[in-house]
Amino acid sequence: MFRIIGRRLLEVVLFVLFVTFFSFLFLRLAPGDPALTILNVDELNVSQEQVEALREDMGFNDPLLVQYGKWLLDFLRLDFGNSYITSQPVSEMLLTGLPATLELTIGSLIVMLLVAIPLGSLSALYKDSWIDHVSRYFSIIGAAVPSFWLGLIMIDMFAVRLSWFPTMGRDSLLSLVLPAVTLGLAIAGVYVRLLRSSLLDSLGQEFVRAARARGISEGRIFFSHAFRHSLPPVITVFGVSLGSLIGGVVVVEVLFAYPGVGKLVVDSIRQRDYPLIQGYIVLMAAIVFIVNTLVDLSYRYVNPELRLKERKLS
Amino acid sequence: MRKFLIKTLGMAILILLLAACTDNADSEGDKKHLAFVYNFATNSLDPNVDSSYVPLRAGMTETLVRLNEETLTIEPWLAESWEGTNEGREWTIKLREGIDFQNGKPMDAAAVKASLERSLKDNVAIQNALKIDAIEVMDDRTLHITNTQAFPEFVSELVNPNVSIIDVEAGDFVNNPIGTGPFKLESFTPGSKLELVRNEGYWDEKAKLDSVTFSFNEDANARSLALESGDADVVFRPEVESIGSLEEKEGVKVESTETFRVHQLTMNMEREALKDVNVRKALDALIDREEIAQSVLLGYAEPAKGPFPGSLPFAPSYSEHETGEDVAKEYLEKAGYTLVDGKMQKDGEPLELTMLTYSSRADLPLIAQIFQSDAKKLGIDVELRQIEIPEEYMASNRDWDLATYSNLTAPRGDAGYYLNATYHPDGALNFSGADEPELTRIIDELNVTVDADKRAELSEAAADYVDENQINSFVIYPDTLVAYDETKVKNWVTTRSEYYMITNQLDVK
Repeated sequence: MFRIIGRRLLEVVLFVLFVTFFSFLFLRLAPGDPALTILNVDELNVSQEQVEALREDMGFNDPLLVQYGKWLLDFLRLDFGNSYITSQPVSEMLLTGLPATLELTIGSLIVMLLVAIPLGSLSALYKDSWIDHVSRYFSIIGAAVPSFWLGLIMIDMFAVRLSWFPTMGRDSLLSLVLPAVTLGLAIAGVYVRLLRSSLLDSLGQEFVRAARARGISEGRIFFSHAFRHSLPPVITVFGVSLGSLIGGVVVVEVLFAYPGVGKLVVDSIRQRDYPLIQGYIVLMAAIVFIVNTLVDLSYRYVNPELRLKERKLS
Repeated sequence: MRKFLIKTLGMAILILLLAACTDNADSEGDKKHLAFVYNFATNSLDPNVDSSYVPLRAGMTETLVRLNEETLTIEPWLAESWEGTNEGREWTIKLREGIDFQNGKPMDAAAVKASLERSLKDNVAIQNALKIDAIEVMDDRTLHITNTQAFPEFVSELVNPNVSIIDVEAGDFVNNPIGTGPFKLESFTPGSKLELVRNEGYWDEKAKLDSVTFSFNEDANARSLALESGDADVVFRPEVESIGSLEEKEGVKVESTETFRVHQLTMNMEREALKDVNVRKALDALIDREEIAQSVLLGYAEPAKGPFPGSLPFAPSYSEHETGEDVAKEYLEKAGYTLVDGKMQKDGEPLELTMLTYSSRADLPLIAQIFQSDAKKLGIDVELRQIEIPEEYMASNRDWDLATYSNLTAPRGDAGYYLNATYHPDGALNFSGADEPELTRIIDELNVTVDADKRAELSEAAADYVDENQINSFVIYPDTLVAYDETKVKNWVTTRSEYYMITNQLDVK
């Protein structure tokens, strides 16, 4: 266990360097100029020289590597810098938005589980039945429909026509329902199919037949043997698809004006607020890293074979 | 695993129950409340720095002078009167008596000085716009301001929301600035919304509303839906495509108001072909303004004749431009072009143009496409190039001929900003590369002229020069759209400056 964590820590250093350097590079190479936003050229008369002077002042004329080096030094001191727009520490702004985002992520994961587990299990148990067909269509539609569109449909149905939920904002748990359902449904499709095929695979394994021969009840076979055995691939995919979940959170937050970090970063991209965008990237990289580590560790819990192998190796 | 399933299910049910318990209904009884949705989100409420201007728009802060939306002239607000001497180099500003900040502190000359000095210190652009050298407190209500140069537009620049007067000693400008407006902040969720309550100590007529929710949503569809669901009473800039269905709804009123914005075709006069004024005139004649106003903005726009909409006091009576294919052809023939093999050519060189457009203003790519197809009919190939940030691209690349661009021409009711930024050789938005001695002279003179009539005359002269020499081409003045629930909202005014939104007069039935 400690060896795994140690190796992981080394990995994380390289990972952070890689992610932050390339995101820094791409951000600076992408068109856009915070100097123009800061000077508000749209409404105030400034001269070309003044724009240039501000750029110089903010260090945009330094070589990229110098700019990155400066950022990295600050970062090592755990200083993410201040936002160009609000002048507040980036870390503070991200931490303010994080609870809302976590709430939304957890909410949508719950929705995803509530949909994927029953639908995936049923379509594996009743293969080729009507429920299997329904779940297949659900998955295809779920994968094809963009979440902002699904969100608009949700708003139209449940907020405008039925007035059950608010259309936007984050006032009570009620405001969480529509965004969480939108995102949960959007990601559920993948897991329904995955769980189904993984379950079918487990149900065909020898240990299931052995268990049946021992006269263990079907229900117990399903839950204690087959289901658990089918989880590793599902968990792996979860680790991999975390990125698309984060992306989905951003879209949904913007649509529902949900004040999380996704919304924050979209606002800051519009204004080319580099320190905030960079801080967001580091935060997301950290989250992906932590979740992937947890995923790796969880294999050992759901799949006893792995633990056995390790023991044999040592 | 069964336990796990039961736990998850249990948790979900618990959440639903909790959600059902939270009361969403308006429990405040008879209190007058209004919900407003704006189309830009902000993470900062700092009135002196942030360009979203939310504190002023939400009625939290006020400026020394304001723009009268009917006459489009400057009128007193926190200042009672002002007087400029020495060609606008020196100003004496008299403050209105008996105004307090929302925390009860008096708004006296010293407080105003501190507030002005803060905006100068923290905002480079304001420093640049105000050109203030020194501020002196004469007495409790009088300020003496010396500018770095003769500056007749000085007072008009004080309209800028970034020159809002706040109590600088109160601190925490980003989350809770203290102003003098009819509403004060109760809570602020960055990027999402502000909750405002009436300022009981307001110096003018107290606000009619008890409270206001000022929320942000960048998605135009979501804004329209918020109005339909009743979550919002007023929404700013609903989607043009949804106007039809909104108008059909009982009680919804859609208001469209002309602004100070113009969608224009910027011409790069440094390019060989466009150096010829006849070519520029030909291209101008090719723009089908009616068609663009109808098909792109569904009629919520006026065909443009020049940079300033006719309602502005300094808009000249522009010369009537003849338009159409034949007119364009005539101009091109004057410039030495002939139609050979279906292509407009001069000395064997076909007229091919590169046109820039960008998507952050959804109308512009459509305008570019209409222009492209009209030009094709005349044998001119227009290659459209999508760019990201127009200001940056146009300033650093000169490999284009035309660009769709949208500009505010008189954000503070004065022509100085636009003329300087767009046509002065030093201007940051002078993408056409205009360096016309005659025009520069007019602008320079405008910059030192105090008298309002004389200023209007010079502004007209400049606009006329631009018009006659076709330095840029003006396509349409787009309207600002606001939709609101007519059965509930009273006294809503869609202002042209887009500065004043939540006011003390705004009410609900």
